[in-house]
Amino acid sequence: MTDGPALRLSNVGLTFPRRRGIRALFGGRQSTDFVALEGIDLEVKRGEVLGVIGRNGSGKSTMLRVMAGVFSPDVGEAKASGRVSLLASLGTGFAGHLTGRENAMLYGSVLGRSREQMLELMNGIIEFSELHDFIDEPLRTYSSGMRARLGLAVVSALDPDILLIDEVLGVGDPVFKEKSKKKILDMVGGAGTVVLVSHSFGLMTSICDRIVHMKGGHIDFVGEPQEAISAYYRSEGVDPEVSE
Amino acid sequence: MRREVRGRFKNAYLGYAWTVIEPAMLAVVYYFLFSLLSGNDDILYAVWVLIGVIVWSCFGKTLQATVGSLTRNASMIHLVHFPRAIFPLTSTVSNIILSLLSSLVVLPLLVVFDVSVTWRLVFVPMAIGLAAAQAIGLGMLLAPFNCVQQDVEHMVRFIVRAGFFLSPVMWTWEMAVERGGLYADIILINPMVLPITLARHGFEGTPLDMGPEALVFCFAWTVVMWVIGSMVFASKERGAVKHL
Repeated sequence: MTDGPALRLSNVGLTFPRRRGIRALFGGRQSTDFVALEGIDLEVKRGEVLGVIGRNGSGKSTMLRVMAGVFSPDVGEAKASGRVSLLASLGTGFAGHLTGRENAMLYGSVLGRSREQMLELMNGIIEFSELHDFIDEPLRTYSSGMRARLGLAVVSALDPDILLIDEVLGVGDPVFKEKSKKKILDMVGGAGTVVLVSHSFGLMTSICDRIVHMKGGHIDFVGEPQEAISAYYRSEGVDPEVSE
Repeated sequence: MRREVRGRFKNAYLGYAWTVIEPAMLAVVYYFLFSLLSGNDDILYAVWVLIGVIVWSCFGKTLQATVGSLTRNASMIHLVHFPRAIFPLTSTVSNIILSLLSSLVVLPLLVVFDVSVTWRLVFVPMAIGLAAAQAIGLGMLLAPFNCVQQDVEHMVRFIVRAGFFLSPVMWTWEMAVERGGLYADIILINPMVLPITLARHGFEGTPLDMGPEALVFCFAWTVVMWVIGSMVFASKERGAVKHL
């Protein structure tokens, strides 16, 4: 593995076409396009936990998807060194009619793990997710917390170099949140890198090394967790003492 | 990635039996409908229709599956980045396998109608492969556009329905040629005439009596569609997934 940052976004811009119709796939950028990300410059160091905060629709999830390679930026460059796993909100990418176990196998195979490797990891996944017998029930019967537990159990068992978590921990109960926190810190201890989007500021301040505050598709502030949270409240004109 | 194909099949285990049961029951219906009621003097007519249906539905199902392959897997696509051509490819491979299973139903029919088995029986799987190859080219061409406008899917459904009648499914190429007229002259423009007729000759064990220009045209059309379809898919897929 090379030195240097785990993730680097340089001047990344991404627009979503608003125009419908077949012609939307032809021609360049339109003035009506929605600018989701603009001028994003960000480096995530190896072994770092980076938090991302911002209002709904400020581009947090889109940025994570660019990091994961799901969207390729229209301008600029996104580079990740190592295997990236994205854990997105509420079991995206999982199939409701399959059981938890089948979903875990499917997810593993999509990420290029063999059947044997996944079978080895399965006990750990079941234990960490605390799903017990539920692992063989269809996913559609799961609560949102159970899905989050399964999701985190699967992706952390796959041991990615870079783990991107998009507002998943918020739905877990306090006990699970503590467990996830420990898991994330373990990962970072083992030279993993974590990027975490969340609205749980308490959790964020306790585990993040730095926090990014995003606003309107731009990076508004990057730095110490407390300062980033202050920047968030300041930019929204809300007094944190009153709102909490 | 073959693992994903296997994973998909595992969940359609009951479907396996149906792929043989359905055409077998259809064969009985066709037998009564055509041989007894309409008084057609060709006792194999029901078999011709059955083979036509199997080959045509391989084309139709593959086309519909590849066109919808990106939209159906939207949640997976939003989660992990891997070559997205996997989606149309897995749909095609699974349809080829299912059609091959369906075509097993012609084996007992060989005995029932006392047709001798010849090496030309390999024409049947060849025809199925050819039908699927034609479908995937067109399907990959249309799949990115289907992400933007799902009208594409509806249009494709119409093409599959109309093509059922415009192709020699309920009739045979020989019948059209015998009757003559305008459609007999231009019939070879329809690239599905060859695979269906090929499969029928394979069953009967007689050589294909089409001119070389028909073979050349059919193969050229298949290859050209493959090339165009893959090129369009590769260049438009990045923009298209933003619409999912």
